[in-house]
Amino acid sequence: MIAGLFRALAGALVLFLVGCASVHPWPKAASGVNSESFVQLDVPFFPQERYQCGPAALATMLASQSVPVTAEALVPKVYLPGREGSLKVELVAAARQYGMLVYPLADLTDMLAEIDSGHPVIVMQNLGFDWFPQWHFAVVIGYDSSEEELILHTDTRRANRQPLGVFYRTWDRAGQWAAVMLPAGDIPVTAEALPYLESAHDLESTGQQAPAFAAYQAAVARWPGEPAALLGMGNIAYAQQKWSDAARHYLGTVEKFPRLAPGWNNLAHALARSGCASQSVEALACANELRPDGFPLDLPTSDDASGSTCPVFNCPVID
Amino acid sequence: MQSIRAYIRQVSLLMVLAVGFATTFSSASVAGVVGTGEVLTEQRADVDRQSLMTMLDRQDVKDALSTMGVDESEVENRIQSLTPSELADFNDQLADAPVGQDVVGIIVLFLLVFIVTDLLCATNIFSFINCIR
Repeated sequence: MIAGLFRALAGALVLFLVGCASVHPWPKAASGVNSESFVQLDVPFFPQERYQCGPAALATMLASQSVPVTAEALVPKVYLPGREGSLKVELVAAARQYGMLVYPLADLTDMLAEIDSGHPVIVMQNLGFDWFPQWHFAVVIGYDSSEEELILHTDTRRANRQPLGVFYRTWDRAGQWAAVMLPAGDIPVTAEALPYLESAHDLESTGQQAPAFAAYQAAVARWPGEPAALLGMGNIAYAQQKWSDAARHYLGTVEKFPRLAPGWNNLAHALARSGCASQSVEALACANELRPDGFPLDLPTSDDASGSTCPVFNCPVID
Repeated sequence: MQSIRAYIRQVSLLMVLAVGFATTFSSASVAGVVGTGEVLTEQRADVDRQSLMTMLDRQDVKDALSTMGVDESEVENRIQSLTPSELADFNDQLADAPVGQDVVGIIVLFLLVFIVTDLLCATNIFSFINCIR
């Protein structure tokens, strides 16, 4: 009986060792990023209390961006006493409540590039096994490429060095989740347009209007070819009932992207709200010309008859 | 335990309020206005579709498809008619495929499994039904 158990255990161990055999190579320096061999960011450290790696890691991330916060203050927001842990979604949601834009990273190369540019990276690890997980959050604050080690603020250890192989396996077992958390308006160096805009939209849809607006504004400057950023600025102004601001942003959107039907539709609504009834009907007609029967014809009415100057525009010509 | 019960009513009321609050925000696309998220979804679909089309443009992929007797334009039509969520699904699966193997093989395999077999009515992964046979 006992011997059988040992045999089974030994078998499992062999399987495990085989599973570990492949070692992930150290990422080559990404083009355009400086290839320092040793980087260690100066990031405040919050040693975790029992089981509370979530609040500690989040506090590290927030404090690195000068948000005055302690791990204790975050515990009620992100710690589930019954589960003795934190959920990833809660950490992300809490960061947003501090106005931070959470941008998930694609791979190890992006992680090192973000660290090069001074951004610590929050990671999720599975320190146990696939069949007996032990989840953990930590913050990567540096690396040493000559030793092939990552440097992490983790549990109660400040600037702990982990060999790439160990780190990669624990990180891979947790689905390779890594993210930077930056004040809205700062764009991560590895950011791409659509994922960044999706992160900005997450701020917008969780009621963080001011940070979302700042993020869209930064995106307009960085990726002038993305209509969603301009439209998003209009949508936030509209949600804030700043009708003429909204109309101005929407007008900017359709001037730059004349074939964006939703832009014309939204312009119509903002104009209707700001007392430009006839122009709003025109704009809605443009929208429905671009996308036949795409938008309902009922427009809001306005109690604002102050006669603010209404814009002049033409529908785009469709060939 | 008893004390927890006593609070359940208040807690559930709070939860209802919280959920109501959250949904108010998430429908920030106030009635009539198209939300930023909807436009982003459309854009993402365009990008996904474009990347699939680019794969189809590769000569080696074309050769592989023609040896299987599949008309390239049929596949192209098929890709055009995929919904945004189907496209996203496809690209997710492709991103999860093991790296380091031969790229053409994986592309063709995915096109084969997801598009072509569906086209030939061997599978029924996508809701759009337009079988060759």
